[in-house]
Amino acid sequence: MSNPLLSVSGLGISTVQDPRTLVNSVSFEIMPGEAVGVVGESGSGKTLTALSILGLLPRGVAIAGGSIIFNGTDLTKADPETMRNLRGSDISMVYQDPMTALNPVMKLGRQLLEVIESHEKLDDGSVARVEAALREVGIPQVERAMESYPHEFSGGMRQRVMIAMALLLSPKLLIADEPTTALDVTIQQQILALVSEQRRKRDMSMLWITHDLGVVANLVDRLIVMYAGNIVEAGTVQEIFTNPQHPYTHGLLSSLPSRTDKSRKRLTSIPGVPQKPWLVGNTCGFAPRCFKVTAECTASAPKLVGSLEKSVACFHPMGDK
Amino acid sequence: MKRDPLKPKGGFYYYMQSTSGIVGAILLLFMVIVSLCAVFGWLPHDPLEQNVEFAMQGPSSNFWFGTDEFGRDIFSRSLDGMRRSLTVSVSAVSIAATIGVTLGILSGYLGRWFDQLIVRLSDVIFAFPAILLALAIVSTLGNSWYQTSLAIAVVYTPIFIRVARGPVLTVKEMDYVKVTRILGFSSLRILRKHILPNVTAPIVVQVALSLSWAILTESGLSFLGLGTQPPNASLGLMVSEAQSIAAFAWWALFFPSAFITIVVVGLNLVGDGLRDALDPARRSS
Amino acid sequence: MSLNIVNVEKRYLNRASGTTINALNGVSIKVEVGQTLGIVGESGCGKSTLARAVVGLEVPSAGSITWDGKVIDNKAKDRLKSHHSQVQLVFQDPYSSLNPRQQIENSIAEAIEVHGLVAKDKITDRVTELLVMVGLDPDLRNRYPHQLSGGQRQRVCIARALSAEPKLLVLDEPVSALDVSVRAEVMNLLIDLRKNLGLTYIFISHDLAMIRYISDVIAVMYLGKIVEFGTWEEIIENPVHPYTKALIAAMPDHSIIGDPTMLARTLEGEVPDPVNLPSGCSFHSRCALAVPSCSIIAPTLREISNGHLVACSEV
Ligand SMILES: Nc1ncnc2c1ncn2[C@@H]1O[C@H](COP(=O)(O)OP(=O)(O)OP(=O)(O)O)[C@@H](O)[C@H]1O
Ligand SMILES: Nc1ncnc2c1ncn2[C@@H]1O[C@H](COP(=O)(O)OP(=O)(O)OP(=O)(O)O)[C@@H](O)[C@H]1O
Ligand SMILES: [Mg+2]
Ligand SMILES: [Mg+2]
Repeated sequence: MSNPLLSVSGLGISTVQDPRTLVNSVSFEIMPGEAVGVVGESGSGKTLTALSILGLLPRGVAIAGGSIIFNGTDLTKADPETMRNLRGSDISMVYQDPMTALNPVMKLGRQLLEVIESHEKLDDGSVARVEAALREVGIPQVERAMESYPHEFSGGMRQRVMIAMALLLSPKLLIADEPTTALDVTIQQQILALVSEQRRKRDMSMLWITHDLGVVANLVDRLIVMYAGNIVEAGTVQEIFTNPQHPYTHGLLSSLPSRTDKSRKRLTSIPGVPQKPWLVGNTCGFAPRCFKVTAECTASAPKLVGSLEKSVACFHPMGDK
Repeated sequence: MKRDPLKPKGGFYYYMQSTSGIVGAILLLFMVIVSLCAVFGWLPHDPLEQNVEFAMQGPSSNFWFGTDEFGRDIFSRSLDGMRRSLTVSVSAVSIAATIGVTLGILSGYLGRWFDQLIVRLSDVIFAFPAILLALAIVSTLGNSWYQTSLAIAVVYTPIFIRVARGPVLTVKEMDYVKVTRILGFSSLRILRKHILPNVTAPIVVQVALSLSWAILTESGLSFLGLGTQPPNASLGLMVSEAQSIAAFAWWALFFPSAFITIVVVGLNLVGDGLRDALDPARRSS
Repeated sequence: MSLNIVNVEKRYLNRASGTTINALNGVSIKVEVGQTLGIVGESGCGKSTLARAVVGLEVPSAGSITWDGKVIDNKAKDRLKSHHSQVQLVFQDPYSSLNPRQQIENSIAEAIEVHGLVAKDKITDRVTELLVMVGLDPDLRNRYPHQLSGGQRQRVCIARALSAEPKLLVLDEPVSALDVSVRAEVMNLLIDLRKNLGLTYIFISHDLAMIRYISDVIAVMYLGKIVEFGTWEEIIENPVHPYTKALIAAMPDHSIIGDPTMLARTLEGEVPDPVNLPSGCSFHSRCALAVPSCSIIAPTLREISNGHLVACSEV
């Protein structure tokens, strides 16, 4: 088996002042060409984990420990210049809100050319390259689009432009932070199809963040489930969907209304509200809501154990079906 | 019934949590005491009494802040000046806030032609530099203290219109205000219970800030010879008069200026404290 | 008793650009008491506009909306005592729909007080009853909204709507803003309330799975019009309109996993601009079945089987 493209181990993220843990010792790997999904509630640390890979954590938040090895270099120790070279070319990102990620007063063509310019010299082929990238993501009338401003496009179109921009320099890893959450279902479907297609064509690795399990079922190879700053379960999509081990994953899957259940029976719900990551401490963060909770769960934190195909952090996993 | 640990505390509690609020309150208290001394005439000397014998003396046990070129006690004059400055600015800001906030809220809530009219009018006033406009008004009206207040009030009214109107426009569109309409509440109730409480924070903060500007404006007018008239004292006038002798008698310039600074800084700090205390969401952490 | 929406149109005039947004373009629908109508459709198709019109926040540009035979409007004076407070709305965003300076007890008690729905000394008890009814600990009564989680706030909003003793509750995406793990609880609550209080619901969402779960009848909207209407089974199992078909194909399906062909593009193009409505059928630009006449003649709803209506000339 080849070496992982990205290997995150023991990554901790906390606030700088009165240190509060936001992400607690997260470890995972992405193989070359592999697509990994991250699911979890709001506030579980998905975005921060992604931003730490790019070295773009917001002010006031910093890496507290662990390492992020990308292609052999530890990004937590890399200097700003190395990180800058890496961003956009080797690793690129698509954000949830394309409006805030695009410059509202700059023509789209110019913005895309700038991405090339920041990593290599512009030449006669650059414009053609940008146009090809836009065409590839299904933007109609590319010449006109190059001369347009972001507000002239709908949300779905802007997200396509963002994707074109992210793919422009053929990155090895594409990170996507809920890029379809703000979009309509049919547009979301278009974007998912587009990304899936491009990924296969380029043999690119992908980290896809979402809170919607339905989105990733057919998009990624493996899934990571986060809860209150920890990874509670990881494994192949097959395993997670058909045989969830962590009571949270199990609860989440069974709380979704079924598409086929004729009788429309009562939804299984998870009582309570998500825990704040910094209040978890050395316990299982899901314990207050878990139906399997025992004294053990609040006495220490369960470790993530298992294989790449299937691992869980729980003292009382659901057991195989 | 067990006590809810999150049971809300009063705004005062949160005000006292803020350092700038406490410092500002102390400075404000100081100013009020100083002005009260002047009101009740508890001054070591008569602020108007001239005594050439003691002219241009530095601070001493008799004249704490020294004397000016006419031998008047600068300490007594500063206290009296503070009283006069505060009277003018407090009445000016009261008038401006009452009229401006009422117009601003109505204009934001009612919209349509009324809003257009009010906005146009305040734009016209805004178009002039504040001190110039005040100057023009004072020179037409005359320069007794209430006329000065009135001039400053006219200049500041549009600020309050703006400060009140903006938040009303935002809050009016909030879902919780729409809910009150679906629940069939009267306009008066919606304004009073759901809009006003959510726009008071910026208004109260603005009152504190405007007071400090008003003091500066009054000082400016006096400095230009249009506010308080000699031989009476106001802080601004004292600074103006001290100019010619500042080279020989630093105290004549220093103490009135220090008073102005304390008032302005104090009011700004109070504004900061209020801003924190009045926002329930800021209190949570 | 029933809600009768007849040919409702709503246009917004944008003064700055001088354009007109055609938010609703002739919507007719009837909701019988005790029924739950699900409305599904893409962003901007007019779902919220319709919701606001139903509760009287918006006056239709044309057409009429009646509840129990009486026209709904937003004149506060009329609403006070009349049956109009029988129609209440729960908004999508539980963060903006509670007054940040009002303790939740007061939010819930206000309507009861204003309309004198119970005796003065019984108000506290009534608030407790409502809090329990929506599954909240009555000890939370003195909290401010920011001290509650999203799910708890949405419960408060539901309790406040119930305080006016409504018969019809319009729910505009009531769970979209909530965490996935708390959505099921709120959905269960809505189902319980419907049963216990005999409520009529209009449930709006772009999430077909939720619509399927709660609705008796479903209306599919596209660009300010209803393009298909029928019982939930008919719409989900036997969709006829090409747009409904695309929506259902895009519905998340957890029974098929790891199959990228499931992501096949079901629909090309984007929703047209409501400022420049397309001629003829508004869906023709994205439709695989479109024939030349579709861009000329606008199809009207016609019954294809018992109670199943569709606006398409090619099916
Ligand atoms: N700049 C910041 N300063 C302090 N805390 C932060 C900051 N950004 C995020 N957090 C906190 O870190 C935690 C994790 O945030 P993160 O944005 O990673 O969550 P997420 O899983 O992406 O959630 P969502 O689904 O809402 O996007 C949250 O509790 C959040 O409040
Ligand atoms: N107050 C308003 N002024 C002007 N245009 C409006 C107003 N409210 C809605 N619109 C426009 O009317 C159309 C329908 O909007 P509406 O909010 O009803 O859509 P929706 O179906 O609820 O969408 P979403 O799923 O995004 O909530 C949109 O094009 C919108 O921009
Ligand atoms: Mg996020
Ligand atoms: Mg809406």
